[in-house]
Amino acid sequence: MTSSDRPPVPPDQSLTIAVVDPSRARAAVLEEGLRAVEGARVVVIPDTADLPERLTALAPDVVVIHLESPSRDLLEQMFGVSRLVERPVAMFVDRSDAAMMQAAVDAGISAYIVDGLRAERIKPIIDIAILRFNAFARLQRELSEARGELADRKLIERAKGILMTAKGLTEDEAYKQLRRKAMNEKRKIVDIARAIVTAADLLG
Amino acid sequence: MRLQLGYVPLSDAAVLIAAVECGFAAEEGVAADLVPEPSWSTLRDKLALGLLDGAHMLAPLALACHLGLSGPQARLVAPAALARNGNAVTVSLPLWQAMAPASDALPEVARALATVARARAREGRPLTLATVHPFSSHTYQVRRLLALGGGGLDLVRLVVVPPPRTADSLERGEIDGFCVGAPWNSVAVAAGAGRIAALGCEIAPDCPEKVLALPVEMAASAPPLLRALRRAARWCAEPEHWPDLAARLAGAGHLGIDQDLVLRGLSGRLRLGPDGPERATPDYLRLGEEALAPAPDAVDWMLAEMAAAGQIAAAEPLRAEAATLYRPDLRAG
Repeated sequence: MTSSDRPPVPPDQSLTIAVVDPSRARAAVLEEGLRAVEGARVVVIPDTADLPERLTALAPDVVVIHLESPSRDLLEQMFGVSRLVERPVAMFVDRSDAAMMQAAVDAGISAYIVDGLRAERIKPIIDIAILRFNAFARLQRELSEARGELADRKLIERAKGILMTAKGLTEDEAYKQLRRKAMNEKRKIVDIARAIVTAADLLG
Repeated sequence: MRLQLGYVPLSDAAVLIAAVECGFAAEEGVAADLVPEPSWSTLRDKLALGLLDGAHMLAPLALACHLGLSGPQARLVAPAALARNGNAVTVSLPLWQAMAPASDALPEVARALATVARARAREGRPLTLATVHPFSSHTYQVRRLLALGGGGLDLVRLVVVPPPRTADSLERGEIDGFCVGAPWNSVAVAAGAGRIAALGCEIAPDCPEKVLALPVEMAASAPPLLRALRRAARWCAEPEHWPDLAARLAGAGHLGIDQDLVLRGLSGRLRLGPDGPERATPDYLRLGEEALAPAPDAVDWMLAEMAAAGQIAAAEPLRAEAATLYRPDLRAG
């Protein structure tokens, strides 16, 4: 659902959220989640050298930035002491809420919020950001695990094939030999398979 | 337990990196992992929230965090400094040409910079100068340089640029100059983008630079860590170890740049411009054991600079609380 599908939001309820993230995929995931915030206009700003100009032009109420972005120090200057941006001082999430701060940093988030924005408006934004960032991290982990499993399976298939050809075994027998060797040596099947494939490559 | 020690990849993290990677920490019974952080803000937040057990940190930022002026407030202790000096002000080649100082002497350079800054401010297009964080010796050195030339921070637009982007930003004309630590000035010179105009060790000799900052709860882990740092500092100060140290720091795990550029800073033999002269300044970056001792007036100096830069209203009300940051007594043992 986009903001145009909803009834108009009163001006004092409207909110501009800037998302800054070196990962474009993660920024997109976060942007999509933040669109659910009532009255929010979400703008993804690339983490490039012209970030200050873009942020100054946008004048966001909230900046959600990933902790791994080197541009965080730049935001501290913009929103902190220098008053480059016309609006008043911003701060790191809500300093009074230590648990939220901890959860945000654990998830890899920092948020800069224009002073005066009410706490009940801030919380859902941070909550969504935390959920989305954690979900993204989990997806990435699952993806890399899945890739690893696929690679392992391919290796075992090749080792089975080598055994079958070399020793005239059936597929089932080849697998059982691999498994027995792994159990005897207290190693993983994939490690035995890798050794066989490496040896075959060298000898072949 | 393994200590998680944060740092920002810079030449002046050398003593901490050497302490962990060259085995000094392990020999003192300290198990530690180095955690590179992309920005000072992230390092500060992780330290304040307990995700790091200690860190290589800008001394003024450690003080600001301790006083609740920057990020989540956290009681920190700084049992030792990690280095002295190492910064320089580098300007774009067009700005250097406009400044045209009579010589490289600091007063000449300061006057030339302030003169151009004033002219540009009058034209309504002030010079843009970058530092690394508002609470940094770099900010204060820019202020002092302008003041020495008869100007002030109000003449310029002060921004922050992440150090690895400084050379690029200078080349693209997004900034006119910056104050940053080694090796990034040499990187800008080697890239043909900048001219080193002034050295931090001349603008504010031996001022507070980086400290080892620990959450106060971790103070007990300080003595063995400090023993390791002292040994590492002695190792880092030996010229015969500089090629090794430069290669280690320049590696992909830390700075990811040409090791010769790191060596320039370690040895204090800086090339000032793309075609410019080489200048030998032994105090450019001091890593030795004596650099670990906090200066007695470090806190007063930082509070006075914070006030002068408009970051705090007055130093006096913060003095007592600020005095609890440095804990050289934890060096005992």
